[in-house]
Amino acid sequence: MDQQLELLLEIQDLRMQRRELTDGSTDLEAEVFDVKIEDAIRSLDEKVEELAERLARGIRERYRRIADKAPRVVAPVINGICYGCFVAVSTARASEADRNLRVESCEYCGCFLYHVG
Amino acid sequence: MQLRELFVPSAINLDLAAETKDEALKELVSCLGLDGKSEGILYKMLKRRENLGSTGIGRGIAIPHCRSLVVTRLRVAFGRKLSGLDFKAIDEKPVRYVFLIVAPPLEVSNQYLPVLGKIAQFGKEADVPEALAELSSPEQFIELLEAKDL
Ligand SMILES: [Zn+2]
Repeated sequence: MDQQLELLLEIQDLRMQRRELTDGSTDLEAEVFDVKIEDAIRSLDEKVEELAERLARGIRERYRRIADKAPRVVAPVINGICYGCFVAVSTARASEADRNLRVESCEYCGCFLYHVG
Repeated sequence: MQLRELFVPSAINLDLAAETKDEALKELVSCLGLDGKSEGILYKMLKRRENLGSTGIGRGIAIPHCRSLVVTRLRVAFGRKLSGLDFKAIDEKPVRYVFLIVAPPLEVSNQYLPVLGKIAQFGKEADVPEALAELSSPEQFIELLEAKDL
């Protein structure tokens, strides 16, 4: 897998975790797991920023443009469908040989693409 | 959806080889049948979640959990280590029972949080740690969930 894509994936998963902490699992995390929500959010933000700094410049700029607008920066592609916009990505892109070997974006919604499964 | 329908025998390990928390996380992740790269990413995410606060909820039970793009549906696993693992649990006691829960960012049926809540509830029942200690097969684990109507 492309290393930049791997960084993007990690960033996306952390952003998801952050979003869930403020909008979903807040009570569960605080009550069952004793998570200090504000501290956790701060720590996730720092980690995301640290990882974003490790992105190559061009990719980082694209990342920032998407990240400012939408919660999702990387969309999974499952069975040829981009789950950011539910449009089929072209078959050449979905070909198994070069899946996840470089950073690609969806031409419809702009998300970075990660082929799953 | 009942909890027991989510557990498959290959993801129920009553005798973890792991000696540490990290090894236990890796061993449970490896039960899910993902490719090596995805396993690595998932493990890293679970570790990141642990860094926010241990998922050891006390009484020997831990529930590591996260969402990740590397899975396409909700996955669960159960691991037991009777000699105990240092999980930095809330009560500082060793962890013997580990429930792993991972989910994709988007789920059609939104089961992740309800499942996490149900397992947490299950883990808090007074008789559960003892019942988990006595299991001798994955089938008995499923039967235990059934007996609890989970
Ligand atoms: Zn798209």
